[in-house]
Amino acid sequence: MKIEKLTKTYDGKTVVDQVDFEIPKGKVLSLIGPNGAGKSTVMHMISRLIAKDTGCITFKGKKLEAWKSKELSKRLAILTQSNHVQMKLTVRELVAFGRFPYSGSHLNKEDEELIQNAIDYMELTQMQDQFIDELSGGQRQRAYIAMVIAQDTEYVLLDEPTNNLDIYHASNMMKTLRKLCDELHKTVIMVLHEINYAAFYSDYICAFVDGKITNFGPVEEVITKENLKNIYKVDFEIQEVKGKPLSIYY
Amino acid sequence: MKYIKQFTIDQTPSIAKNKHKATTLQKRERSHKWTLVLLAMCTVLACVLYVFVGVRFDHPQLFWYALEIRVPKLIAMLVVALCIGKASMIFQSVIQNTIVTPCLLGMNSLYTLLHTAIVFFFGSASRIASNVNLSFAIDLLVMGVSATFIYGYLFKKTKYNILYVLLIGTVLSSLFGSMQSTMIRVMDPNEYDTLLVSLVASFSNVNTEIILFSIVVVIAISYILRKDFALLDVITLGKEQAINLGVDYDRTIRRLLFGVVLLIAVATALVGPISFLGLIVANIARQMFQTYQHRYLIMGSVLVGMIALIGGQVFVEHIMVYAVPLSVFVTVIGGLYFLYLLLRQKRSI
Repeated sequence: MKIEKLTKTYDGKTVVDQVDFEIPKGKVLSLIGPNGAGKSTVMHMISRLIAKDTGCITFKGKKLEAWKSKELSKRLAILTQSNHVQMKLTVRELVAFGRFPYSGSHLNKEDEELIQNAIDYMELTQMQDQFIDELSGGQRQRAYIAMVIAQDTEYVLLDEPTNNLDIYHASNMMKTLRKLCDELHKTVIMVLHEINYAAFYSDYICAFVDGKITNFGPVEEVITKENLKNIYKVDFEIQEVKGKPLSIYY
Repeated sequence: MKYIKQFTIDQTPSIAKNKHKATTLQKRERSHKWTLVLLAMCTVLACVLYVFVGVRFDHPQLFWYALEIRVPKLIAMLVVALCIGKASMIFQSVIQNTIVTPCLLGMNSLYTLLHTAIVFFFGSASRIASNVNLSFAIDLLVMGVSATFIYGYLFKKTKYNILYVLLIGTVLSSLFGSMQSTMIRVMDPNEYDTLLVSLVASFSNVNTEIILFSIVVVIAISYILRKDFALLDVITLGKEQAINLGVDYDRTIRRLLFGVVLLIAVATALVGPISFLGLIVANIARQMFQTYQHRYLIMGSVLVGMIALIGGQVFVEHIMVYAVPLSVFVTVIGGLYFLYLLLRQKRSI
């Protein structure tokens, strides 16, 4: 996936300004940066949730807007933060929605199998008949990830997947996302606020400030004292832990 | 597809569980189906009661006379229940709120305004006003297009915020109401009399002339929008999830709203404005079928509506002997039920 000169303006204020980058296939890419830097907006534009103003997004050699929405949903999944369901919906039924782009509401045997595998993969087997609104935040998040797994797309986009999760659930979530890349060979792109999660679990980092990309590259290149200070305007200390740059800030 | 299978480590227990879980899901499906059958039986019973209670079987002439009056009214009520039940359920799912009814959109006032405008500008003797079917067709067309345009645009602009929707509905319905009352004030009194007859329909005075046409309209809507109805389950997951799963969200919402407006217009034309019925039937259906599947929810809501309307009419005609019109019951019971829903929602928060 290739992004060229992507721009978005809200009420005369440019939130994403001439952004160019290419998403490395089969890797984990984290978008970091201060609030309002435009990372989420970029994420929403490359997943067609909001329309871009100008620029060009090429997905698999074809312009994003030329794709049929249904075809795209077999190749690209997005998980945002706003996941409230008004309906009475069980975990299994939610995961089954992941098969909607393929089979509509008539699931065949293969769908059922993929749904069951996704549920087992996310260790939700015990609670698959519980209603979503009765689950804890961490369990609900896992159910949504299971749905994305059932959707079986090559690209998985996540908007702040660790938001509202405690340390235990957040680090488990990051491990799962890493597994999605390593075991299921998916390309994972996410917006993260926790720099250390980004540094420890991703391959590439893309840093945004004021709608522009300031740094893009492998983790070790981006996570340095100087870069982080430029991005966040806060003093950082970097220590190497397990070969990864751990940043300390206060 | 392939990789997932590869990485399910422990196959045997998962298959065993699979079977077990499949049966729990199947059990729920079966119970939904049984509930539907039960509701259908109650509906048939209500219909039979409505047609045959108090009929003189020994007197063929009287028998056929009674049937001639009752059957068209029965059909009209079935169509109304179908429209209201379906429209309310769809509207609630589109707005993602279970205590709204499409009547909040100010559709009823738009309907009265349109009818008044036709009589005002073309006169009650004109063909558009006197030919019931023609005026009905014009109503549907104008209402469908204008309401879809107004609401479709405003919903998108306000990002489907329920508060804005309600506010817009209230403002528009008083706007339409004031426009209508202005026209009535300038209108010729004789014209006004004729207009009033066509405007005040009720369950005891069903507008039977347009039954055939309205059935055609309802069937046409159901057929044209069948693909959009199938997307309702996904739409209840929220806008972003729906788009993620490949739904053309804005277009689908526009089409669904168009359907809701037309269904409400049909119901209003047949029996006049009824505000709370949709709220009651949709919520009872939601309580009976604890599911997200709209094929059950819509069917349930329609059947509950039929039972409520026809059973209620039997009650009004034979027990109350027309002392209290059905719409009063609907409003009183609907109001109480609405309070109950509000209190229950508050407790769950």
